[in-house]
Amino acid sequence: MAKAAKNYKRMSEELAGIIAWFESGEIDLDAASAKYEEALKLLGQMETYLKTAENKIHKISIGSKD
Amino acid sequence: MDTVFTPADFVAVLNQTLEFAYPSVIIEGELSNFKVSKNRWVYFDLKDDEASVRFFGTVYNLPGPLEDGLTVRVIGAPRLHERFGFSVNFRSIQPVGEGSIKKAADLLYKQLEKEGLFALERKRPLPSMPRSIGLISASGSAAAADFIKILGERWGGMDIYFSDVYVQGEQAPLQLTAAIEHFNQLSVMPEALVITRGGGSADDLAAFDDERVVRAVAASRIPTLVAIGHEIDVSLAELVADLRASTPSNAAQILVPDKKHELTTLARTKQSLSQFLDSIYESERKDLTTRQLFLSSHLKNLFSKELENLSSSRKLIEALSPNAALRRGYALVKKEGKHIASVQRLTASDSLNVALADGTIDVNVVEVKTHG
Repeated sequence: MAKAAKNYKRMSEELAGIIAWFESGEIDLDAASAKYEEALKLLGQMETYLKTAENKIHKISIGSKD
Repeated sequence: MDTVFTPADFVAVLNQTLEFAYPSVIIEGELSNFKVSKNRWVYFDLKDDEASVRFFGTVYNLPGPLEDGLTVRVIGAPRLHERFGFSVNFRSIQPVGEGSIKKAADLLYKQLEKEGLFALERKRPLPSMPRSIGLISASGSAAAADFIKILGERWGGMDIYFSDVYVQGEQAPLQLTAAIEHFNQLSVMPEALVITRGGGSADDLAAFDDERVVRAVAASRIPTLVAIGHEIDVSLAELVADLRASTPSNAAQILVPDKKHELTTLARTKQSLSQFLDSIYESERKDLTTRQLFLSSHLKNLFSKELENLSSSRKLIEALSPNAALRRGYALVKKEGKHIASVQRLTASDSLNVALADGTIDVNVVEVKTHG
């Protein structure tokens, strides 16, 4: 039932990892720029997910209701 | 002429007639002589002021523990047994009326409490962002519609597997139980199970105090959220669930975050990261400026020191220059252009050139004398 595709929770965890990296205090400018780009990409994907993802209803039958 | 039956024939004919005339009867009355034999067979009578009817069945059709004096509604088939006489074989028995429902629920509550089914330690957290939800509710009900609507307004990208069941009436306990068990038997189970219905009378909500339903909720491997749209009495199914909500809409609010709030958080995160990166750039710029200043100052010192060294060297060189000695009154003697530092190779009448500070003179040696 669960999708294998990259989901919001996973993206959220990745973003949390990047924020933690920024907060670690040992920042290299080149690495920070690369991480920032990575974060922007993730943020974009997360925004798109929130704005476009819709729920799918699957009706399932367990015996008859009648 | 009147028909004469054997006892067996009479039982068979009467049962045939009963099956035809009353395939199913619903009888409501006061429970008496209730007993369970060998943990399997159930016997009781239903009575009112004028009559009493015997019933027979199995524990599997009980809604939970019952006791004499409760008012119950029983559905079953009347039958004449070859040896034990007349009884109604029941397939469903439900307490009716607020008092009886409450009393039956209290009996079950005590039993389940002893078993620890309401213990807080049993409660599991529900996933914060479930990707799949098993929804057990009545299709077309306001409860299901509200839950799905609010869920969609708050969060997307989920697969909702909707099991349409009766949430009240005779079939409700078995359908609810079957649906819970179905989701729990899937090879890939949904991440959360939501069982919901709107409010109603005590009779309407009786299925959620049914022992089979309550035990199925308690036994669910999938974390459960039970939401019944009422506030006064909490059903036993809600008490054994991992989480309860006051209404179907409230269930959706509890189950998933709000995407509007999440979007605001993302915007703030973006801003914070940008500011953070800017501060890193600023810090690096300051660092670079400091280094430049340091290097510049260091080079300046180095040049200055070298210039001093050069000046000293120049003075030293100048001090060591023969011209300096000449200026102090010394003379430089040359013979045939070569500097003479000794009298050893000189003889009388040699022509010499003597350089002084302000000019030269050519002289002839008159006599050579050595010291000592």
